[in-house]
Amino acid sequence: MSFGKILIANRGEIALRIIRACRELGIRTVALYSDADRAALHVLEADEAYRLGPAPATESYLRGDLILDIAHRTEADAIHPGYGFLSENADFAEACGKAGVKFIGPPPSAMRALGSKTSARQVADSVGMPRTPGSVKGLASLEEARTVAAQIGYPVMLKAAAGGGGKGMRAVFSADELASAFSAASSEAERAFGSGEVYLEKLIERPRHIEIQVLADEHGNCVSLGERECSVQRRHQKVIEEAPSAVVDEDLRRRMDEAAVRLAKSAGYTNAGTVEFLVDEAKNFYFLEMNTRLQVEHPVTELVTGLDLVHLQIHIAQGGRLPFRQADVRLRGHAMECRIYAEDPENGFFPSPGEITRLLQPGGPGIREDSGVYEGWVVPMEYDPMLSKLIAYAPDRMLAVHRLLRALDEYVIGGIRSNLNLFRTILRDPDFQKANIDTGYLDRLLVVKGIAPETSPERVEIAAIAAAVFESMRSTSTGQNQPTNGSSSNWKKMARREALHA
Amino acid sequence: MILQLEIHGELRRIELTPDKLPNRFRVALNDGAEQEIEARLLRPGVLSLQIAGKTCRCVLEEGPEGTVIHFAGSRFPYQMDDPRSLKSRRSRTGGHDGPKPVSAPMPGRVVRVLVQKGDEVQAQQGIIVIEAMKMQNELKSPKAGKIAGLRVQPGGTVAAGEVLAVVE
Repeated sequence: MSFGKILIANRGEIALRIIRACRELGIRTVALYSDADRAALHVLEADEAYRLGPAPATESYLRGDLILDIAHRTEADAIHPGYGFLSENADFAEACGKAGVKFIGPPPSAMRALGSKTSARQVADSVGMPRTPGSVKGLASLEEARTVAAQIGYPVMLKAAAGGGGKGMRAVFSADELASAFSAASSEAERAFGSGEVYLEKLIERPRHIEIQVLADEHGNCVSLGERECSVQRRHQKVIEEAPSAVVDEDLRRRMDEAAVRLAKSAGYTNAGTVEFLVDEAKNFYFLEMNTRLQVEHPVTELVTGLDLVHLQIHIAQGGRLPFRQADVRLRGHAMECRIYAEDPENGFFPSPGEITRLLQPGGPGIREDSGVYEGWVVPMEYDPMLSKLIAYAPDRMLAVHRLLRALDEYVIGGIRSNLNLFRTILRDPDFQKANIDTGYLDRLLVVKGIAPETSPERVEIAAIAAAVFESMRSTSTGQNQPTNGSSSNWKKMARREALHA
Repeated sequence: MILQLEIHGELRRIELTPDKLPNRFRVALNDGAEQEIEARLLRPGVLSLQIAGKTCRCVLEEGPEGTVIHFAGSRFPYQMDDPRSLKSRRSRTGGHDGPKPVSAPMPGRVVRVLVQKGDEVQAQQGIIVIEAMKMQNELKSPKAGKIAGLRVQPGGTVAAGEVLAVVE
């Protein structure tokens, strides 16, 4: 069948990304929004848009029942869940099937088999996939945790079976830390995921995070689209992603590809998915988990393969066959992505929601930006702080680094704080440039170097002249001859603004 | 026109004289030599500056925290300075005396209040926890002292810049 209309059950840049793909394919789009998102970019760009409810996600983007109602009313043929929200919710995927709306993603059975980390470890064992030593079931008691930890040896990691984003996760370096870590991890998991199930695995020291993109159609064909390296992380959240990885050679890539495809096939997986691995210093790889959805960082794979993953997701969901074979997949050049967040790295990474009063975006050769914001948009405080993804594509890794640095210099985000400076610090760091990275790299860099804004006297001088010109224009426009005291006029401005709000 | 502004912790004196030609100025920094510049406002807040052949695009950002110049990938917050004002004198002496407010750096929801009115606190001690964008952030005391005022309760929402507590 072919879809005439797709409902996008998401917000932000990914909703816009999917709307753009639909438009290119001649498919009409339905956007959804919460009260905080009435003026969001995805609402402006879709063909139709409907209100879900109040700003909190539990009353809007997580309301599967409301979403299915709207899908029914608008006669949408399919639902694209994006990432986050309902994208990995097997019950929602099942409800879509029952309601006669195609869920663009894997079948609920595959989501269930791979969604829990412990059951995914069992699937990994069944296909002979290397994984970190440790338990494959939830730990029944602290006693069991002690036994398993003693068998595999410290240091170990406690992880929530339902986990993600680093929640319910604890590194344990010795036996006497185990009891408190066990209760902390399981209560955190209980609060975050509604399940306190935790398991234990051997801690890999200085691992790199490398993942394999797979794509499977509904006719038994499954291919791998190579790896992405996402070792630059903060609090277990990816910050920079790139493809290919500097440490993956042809042989390692082939072995990881084969393992990932084997895992996907054995679980009856279809559509786009990602198999995540940790790779140690000896280049052994260990299965971490499978993400049963489109990933945030999919653009880097698109750039090095020349494919459009969202087009392919829709093609597969329509029942189409993969239009190419594994042997046709070629990786070319290097792609690197920065996740631009509304947060303040110079001030403890405080979130910075609010109005974007100034926005100048980069362009030019090899730059792609998947953004969900515009000048005048008020970034809501209810959702994650991602504003945009800035991606560079170049013939090799160093050129991609310089291309990103160039683009960052063109980029201005005003009104709210952003992490643009964090990327300048990382991209200029000699260790990053030598691809000398692991999942602890960024934390060490922040401790050693911090994010020092660079200042040469000449630059400060130019900034001072610019400030003086702006101030002189300000006073002429208000008809005063003398410059006004900046702080008092700001107070007046604030008061006026506040009075307008009241 | 003579302006004094504080930028990167340093006070600068700038003399800016409009030229006969439009968009042209003569500028002298800290009583140094005069330079000729051309400044063109491309749109509100975006300035194209040419200084002795060098060209740069400078962007003005005005927010609740103050005024910032963005250029070539860097941020330069600045403050207009009136040497007679109390505020500028205080900023030069460090301003550790007197009551200090604890204000919200961003809009959010109050998750926990860690102190009570009248409590003695240390500098950098956590006072209030605010949640925004799925993250919890602890606001710390700017100095050692006593909680003189506390204007929030758990569950309440706060705006950026709102004073939540006062330490004296």
